[in-house]
Amino acid sequence: MTDRRDVLPFDAPDGHDDELAAIVAAMYAATPAADTGAADRCARAVLAQSMHVPERGAIGLLRPRWWWGAAAAMLVVAVAVKPWRSRAPLLDADSTATRGAATQTRANEVSQPTGTVTPIDGGDGVRFDLTLPAAAREVAIVGDFNGWDENATRMSRQSAAQTWSAEVPLAPGRHVYAFVVDGTRWLVDPLAPQVPDAGFGPSNAVIVEGGTR
Amino acid sequence: MNIAGAALLVALGPLLGGRVGEPSGESAHQVTPAAVRLRVGSADWQQVQFDAARFDSVTANALREILDTAAERGLPTAPLINRALEGAARKVNGARILMVVREYSAALEQARTMLGFQSTVQELEAGASALRAGIDAIVVASVRATRPRGGADVPLMVLTDIVKRGVPTGTARDAVNSIARMPKSDDALLGLQSTVAKNAVRGPGMAVDALHRYVRITVPAIGPPSAPATLDRKPIRPPPP
Repeated sequence: MTDRRDVLPFDAPDGHDDELAAIVAAMYAATPAADTGAADRCARAVLAQSMHVPERGAIGLLRPRWWWGAAAAMLVVAVAVKPWRSRAPLLDADSTATRGAATQTRANEVSQPTGTVTPIDGGDGVRFDLTLPAAAREVAIVGDFNGWDENATRMSRQSAAQTWSAEVPLAPGRHVYAFVVDGTRWLVDPLAPQVPDAGFGPSNAVIVEGGTR
Repeated sequence: MNIAGAALLVALGPLLGGRVGEPSGESAHQVTPAAVRLRVGSADWQQVQFDAARFDSVTANALREILDTAAERGLPTAPLINRALEGAARKVNGARILMVVREYSAALEQARTMLGFQSTVQELEAGASALRAGIDAIVVASVRATRPRGGADVPLMVLTDIVKRGVPTGTARDAVNSIARMPKSDDALLGLQSTVAKNAVRGPGMAVDALHRYVRITVPAIGPPSAPATLDRKPIRPPPP
């Protein structure tokens, strides 16, 4: 066991504990009083680093808040996903004849195509443009003007991704048409004037300019 | 009258001064293969051929009978042929094709009753589509009244489309009729259809709001703005029934 006299910073007298206690008491009494100002400054510095200090004015409003991340996530969902939007009634059929095909189309997750009908300058005809949301091997347009023959009017792929076009000579008037994708899937332009399902499935109607009143 | 006779009748009808589809007697000419020409617009012609090879023999024969019957009643056969060809292209069975063509023929006849015998083929097609969409015959007749001299096909098509997109029939009728009364208003009607179609994606309420905005902008106001019925701020509660 180590003798405690060996660890003392001064020469301890042998066998005189009272004298040793007196020396320690004298040393303690000679120690100067602690600087309370320094301790106070130290405590304030530590607390300032670890605690939020409420700020007033515009700077306080710009201080990051815990809910900023959640709000940004909700904004992204609202803008990009639009969960309240339903695309189902836009596309396929209310027809009992095509109910199976419509179910299959929804299962394949075909989103909304977009189409335009543009009169050809200086000619009796229109140009059909169809932009598909997914890749397709071939697209044809069928209608009253070509006897509903899939092989009569093939659409050509444009340089833009998934955009198909065809120019069809049309007399002024009302024509009913639809698009056939890959020989199996019938699509309509959801924003074009639609005629009611005659029993086969939906289709579009077009009015060629020149016949308008 | 066979289908060839019907074809010639429909083809020569406007040239002879008659209306399209108006029965005028038997024709001595025979046209092979059966082809039907119909009047499109004012001076243009379109040919619609009945290709029997696209149907089985039973269906083709039944279709010939339906077309002959329609021609005897003075109905245009080209829309019926187009519906049959559409069914064949969609690979629908023959029984369903026959049912659809019969129903369409009945709708064409009802449309002619509501729109008048002077109607063009396009107007009859648009009227038949409107009736098949569930629009009341009186509403179809009211659209005709806005354009008694022809050109009701575009208003009927727009009416059918916007009703199909969720606009109440009465609201759609008022909007279409108010625009159709304006001169050269087909483009305005197509603009109405486009506006409603774009906004209907967000629901029928948005479509109706867009329709009211479009009509307010397009149709010029007639007469002074309406005055309030009473000067009191508090509305008067109607007496209980």
